[in-house]
Amino acid sequence: MWRPSPLDRTTSVFISLVVVSMTLITFDLRASEGAGFGDTLREGFQTVFEPVQRGVSAVTRPIVGFFEGISDLSSLRDENRDLREQVAQLEQELAETEALERQVRELEEILGIEPPEGLESVVGQVLAVGPSEFDHIRLIDKGRDDGITVDMPVIDEGGLVGRVVAVTDTAARVRLITDPTMKIAVRVERTGEIGYLVGRGNGPMALEMINTNAVLVEGDLLVTAGSRYPAGISVARVAEAARAELGFTLRTTAIPTSEVTRVDFVEVLIFTSDDVEIAELEGDEDGSVDTPPDQGEPTEGGPEENPVTTEPGTTLNP
Amino acid sequence: MKWRRAIVVVAIIVLTAAMQTTVFVRLRLFGAAPQLGVLVVIAMSRNLEPIESLLYGFGTGLLLDLLAETPLGLWALVCAAVAYTTVRLRRRLEDEVTLLGPAVFVFTFGALALFAILSTIFGQKTFSNAGWVGFMMLPALYNSLLAVLVLPLITRLIPGAGRRYDTVRWDL
Repeated sequence: MWRPSPLDRTTSVFISLVVVSMTLITFDLRASEGAGFGDTLREGFQTVFEPVQRGVSAVTRPIVGFFEGISDLSSLRDENRDLREQVAQLEQELAETEALERQVRELEEILGIEPPEGLESVVGQVLAVGPSEFDHIRLIDKGRDDGITVDMPVIDEGGLVGRVVAVTDTAARVRLITDPTMKIAVRVERTGEIGYLVGRGNGPMALEMINTNAVLVEGDLLVTAGSRYPAGISVARVAEAARAELGFTLRTTAIPTSEVTRVDFVEVLIFTSDDVEIAELEGDEDGSVDTPPDQGEPTEGGPEENPVTTEPGTTLNP
Repeated sequence: MKWRRAIVVVAIIVLTAAMQTTVFVRLRLFGAAPQLGVLVVIAMSRNLEPIESLLYGFGTGLLLDLLAETPLGLWALVCAAVAYTTVRLRRRLEDEVTLLGPAVFVFTFGALALFAILSTIFGQKTFSNAGWVGFMMLPALYNSLLAVLVLPLITRLIPGAGRRYDTVRWDL
């Protein structure tokens, strides 16, 4: 007669660990709304573990820099040539920009418009990354003590890098814009059309336009549409031109303008969406705030939250 | 002896997690980095008692979970599975050392595939990452290359390592 063979001790322990894991996962997912069980544990652990990460980072940074230098050596010559060409081009653009700036100053004087006050920011250095390629997060060395709170936008010299999702007293965790859970409301700088960008890991971001009649040209700059992020921050450039067929959603891809995966220093903008709500209320009183049409689907930039938009052509360059 | 070994193993796990998250901030070949956590679990499971291997594997995964954004327990489950598979197959691997490199590749790839599948089941958008196959292949490849250094190093570091535990094996 067949009799089930008893499980050996190793298998029994393994099955128990699987059950424990499943329980932990369920608890974490069920309690994910608000400051749940997992978030509380992570915050406490991050506070304890951060000094270890700082120490290892300080010790390994010179060694990593050496290897990074070797890996970059082959591309330096090409980069040098490109940079020379860029310098020539930029000198020409600078002359044109100076002329434009003069015109803007004259116009401002005429219209009596005060330039918007610059947002305050905190500069931080990236301390750590996520433990696997599927984690699009960065840990920076500035936290609550420096005025950083959850939801603040993070930028580098190229544009939007991500958003603060967790913070301890001395460190903050930033979710990159390339994370597949990120959905950012953007505006095409050239035309003012609204759409949203979705992260796709290391690949180009997916761009979907709200207005299906919009026309996108390769290289079109996409800037934040407002609400969760200050309006006008560069996010990405359209990688492939696209024109929608009648009745179909306009979809294409865009490449982030910031060095998302190789970012070392970042700037956290001291800004929360509450600032926008106040601005909106003040704007409503003046009747001067643009509100794009209701878009329906919630996004990181939240066009459905009546974002503050700037006029096409005005970009907040970090 | 047991206490000394526990301290050494815990130190290795903590250092591994710290290195995994700091060394590869910018140093990424073809956009990917080795998966040191899985490699160290394989290395430890070759040298520790079966139950110890499972518990330390689970602990390593839990540490990675606390440093990630994925649901708590996901990495713990994956690392425990890696430890269990290694424990089951280690006699075979010790008998044929040439199998070690390919085994590390397969175990790492399997671990990342298991992680991706489980995280998708639990509502993560893991397969929305462009080039997700590369996210599994490249770390597996790097791990199999690093195994030449890491496996003997861990064997040297763990007190009392290198003994053969005959309690469990899968006959292949």
